Amino acid sequence: MTRIRFLLQLQGLGQVGLSRFAAQHGALLQSAFCLQPNLIKNAQRQVIKHFHGSLVCAKRNSVPSAQPLNEDKKSNDSALIHADLFDHVSGTFKTKATFNKAIDVFIKSDVRRRGHVEFIYAALKKMPEFGVERDLAVYNKLLDVFPKGVFVPRNFIQRMFNHYPRQQECGVQILEQMENYGIMPNLETKVLLVQIFGEKGHPVRKYQRIMYWFPKFKELNPWPIPKDLPTDPVDLARFSLARIADDLDAQVTVYQVPHTDVTEKGEHVTLPHIVGIQSPNQIELLAKHNPDRPVFIEGPFPLWLRKTCVHYYILRADPTPADEKEECPYDPESCLAYPLALDLDLDRDMGDDETFDVEICNEGPVFAMCMTGQGDEATLNQWISGLQQKNPILGQVPVLFLLEGRTTELKISSDKESDSQNSQHEDHQTQDRRSKVEANR
Amino acid sequence: MTLSAFRVRLVISTRFVRDFVVPPEPLIIRHQQAVLPSIPSLTVPRRAMTREYRRPGEPIDNRFPWQKIDFDFSRGLEGLKNNIMLIKKELSDPWVGPEGKPILEHMLEQNRVIWEFKGPESLEQWILSSDLEIGGKSEINLRMGKNGQSCFLSGNLDSTPPRDGETRYSGYCTMRSKQPQSFFNRKKHYDWSSFNTLHLRVRGDGRPWMINIGTETYFSHQKNDIYCYFMYTRGGPYWQEIKIPFSKFFLSSCGRVQDSQHPLWLDKVNTVGFTLGDKADGPFQLEIDFIGVCRDYAHTEQCAYESYKRNPEV
Repeated sequence: MTRIRFLLQLQGLGQVGLSRFAAQHGALLQSAFCLQPNLIKNAQRQVIKHFHGSLVCAKRNSVPSAQPLNEDKKSNDSALIHADLFDHVSGTFKTKATFNKAIDVFIKSDVRRRGHVEFIYAALKKMPEFGVERDLAVYNKLLDVFPKGVFVPRNFIQRMFNHYPRQQECGVQILEQMENYGIMPNLETKVLLVQIFGEKGHPVRKYQRIMYWFPKFKELNPWPIPKDLPTDPVDLARFSLARIADDLDAQVTVYQVPHTDVTEKGEHVTLPHIVGIQSPNQIELLAKHNPDRPVFIEGPFPLWLRKTCVHYYILRADPTPADEKEECPYDPESCLAYPLALDLDLDRDMGDDETFDVEICNEGPVFAMCMTGQGDEATLNQWISGLQQKNPILGQVPVLFLLEGRTTELKISSDKESDSQNSQHEDHQTQDRRSKVEANR
Repeated sequence: MTLSAFRVRLVISTRFVRDFVVPPEPLIIRHQQAVLPSIPSLTVPRRAMTREYRRPGEPIDNRFPWQKIDFDFSRGLEGLKNNIMLIKKELSDPWVGPEGKPILEHMLEQNRVIWEFKGPESLEQWILSSDLEIGGKSEINLRMGKNGQSCFLSGNLDSTPPRDGETRYSGYCTMRSKQPQSFFNRKKHYDWSSFNTLHLRVRGDGRPWMINIGTETYFSHQKNDIYCYFMYTRGGPYWQEIKIPFSKFFLSSCGRVQDSQHPLWLDKVNTVGFTLGDKADGPFQLEIDFIGVCRDYAHTEQCAYESYKRNPEV
């Protein structure tokens, strides 16, 4: 790292001996990356070679040529060839190692790195296939394919006009792909870019822009999601329920762990996980619920965590009508340190009204939420039975299922045998409710 | 060609595909131009006041402007009716006070509700569009929420790029407000200069959205300028109130964040839009209760980004 900094300082002083330093640093990078130690020698020799040198000079060093490339040299459509190179080198194993090997093969094949722009485009396209699209080291290695020092503008006219535009575009393209995958470049990237395109090249500017804006937008999400979500469905449900509950007091309960049961007949029955969440406030609210009014299990609702979608179900009620609402004044002695109700008659100025003049969308209370691997009524019924331990009122309240596309009524009673009877039983109120629900859809 | 391609301000991210402009031109021009059959125009909502996007391979529309007029008598009558209403409003409003409100209320206003959704007619103030216009496969639709008090924006995001050989990114859905109009189709603007915060009450599904504010500009090359900021939704059954200071909005053009940032001028705001383009393919939904602006005295920032130098310094 100190070496890189030293290099940058020297370059800042004014491009002294750029090619020499480039060569040294290139060698450093090469040795850092090269997987096979026997290749280092060749790679070093190549980098040290001056690119503006004469042909004779280039010929004197024996150029190691890779076999697969020689026969295709005459063909024009080199991007396709490079794509083939990746397939050829990797064979069936598409990993980071084989990707790096393909790059090494290309670097070794031609001392002038002819067609490196096409090669880089082909490599960028192949990256997701090899699973290296989020690997900064691979991007740096790909940038290393560019010959150093050739595309650096040498006078102000070159700097003013677009010097080596195709190569610069290609460099920008690498950075853009990094940006699209959310990879932040590091100092090594900068050193490479400065060596390749000079201090003020377009790719370097792009790099500067990324380095300016990425940290600004990095931590913006107030509800951050970890990069690697838990793979276990129970853990995932735990995380997502805690996220949507928006209450630190809320308690996650695992009602059922996924497992496979063997019935008497020898059949394997897979039981889905049931994870629920309920906060003390919700328990209190549910206890106050009028038992004549039904509560609803609604769902599934989607929740996106980056690129995964999970579904949750809620237990809710309709908003209480105005005539049933009762004012519950706070008990001033419930908490002496922090009085819950303050009735200060402060003089407010004209227009000190900070509320919006809008009738906000009023919806009924949510009593609990759950996630399950299988969203059928039997599973959700199990959830309700689990909830009943803390909320005995659920034994008296009619529970309606408003699942996607279906509506059935099911009354939870203390004995679980009566499930089938209850599902058949329908009274007028339920039918009314059902027609209302269907009208709403 | 390469020169002009490079003059496209190479800034940052195309992840936030913008509100009303097509995704940025591809920097890389492929050498083999695919000869594509002309693609019939798709039935997507028309976008007002922006130039039409011509898909690669589609023939240029060489018709004269008057040939594009499709005259409809009933629509004309409708327009006339609208205009008369607008004239009436324009004439009667000053008798009450500025913007049709009593002067005291106008002066002491701390917050204002700009859009609320209390009936199907409130949905007509919005324009929907998705990457269907550029040949993508995303869908978006807007309807009233279940209880008729909010709007429910839903659809399906699909980031498969169209197979036209040029477009590299796709997958966005957007909803944008229509620009307010006075009579005879004169432009009107929102004047929010006495406010500093955007206030929304939404319920999402955990996806991040982008809020785009389009302001009136003077030069035609600024017509793609737009001020953006992110709106993260929590997901879940609860509504969330989101307050975004206007100082946080950053300038972008054609989906590229610009180097030189400056504060958003709130005296002539044309449109507010919501864009989804988070590359997560699948259904999405967003419910909006109301959108308002308010004055937050605790917030004094003018512009969150350095404006004394180019941003970043190059």
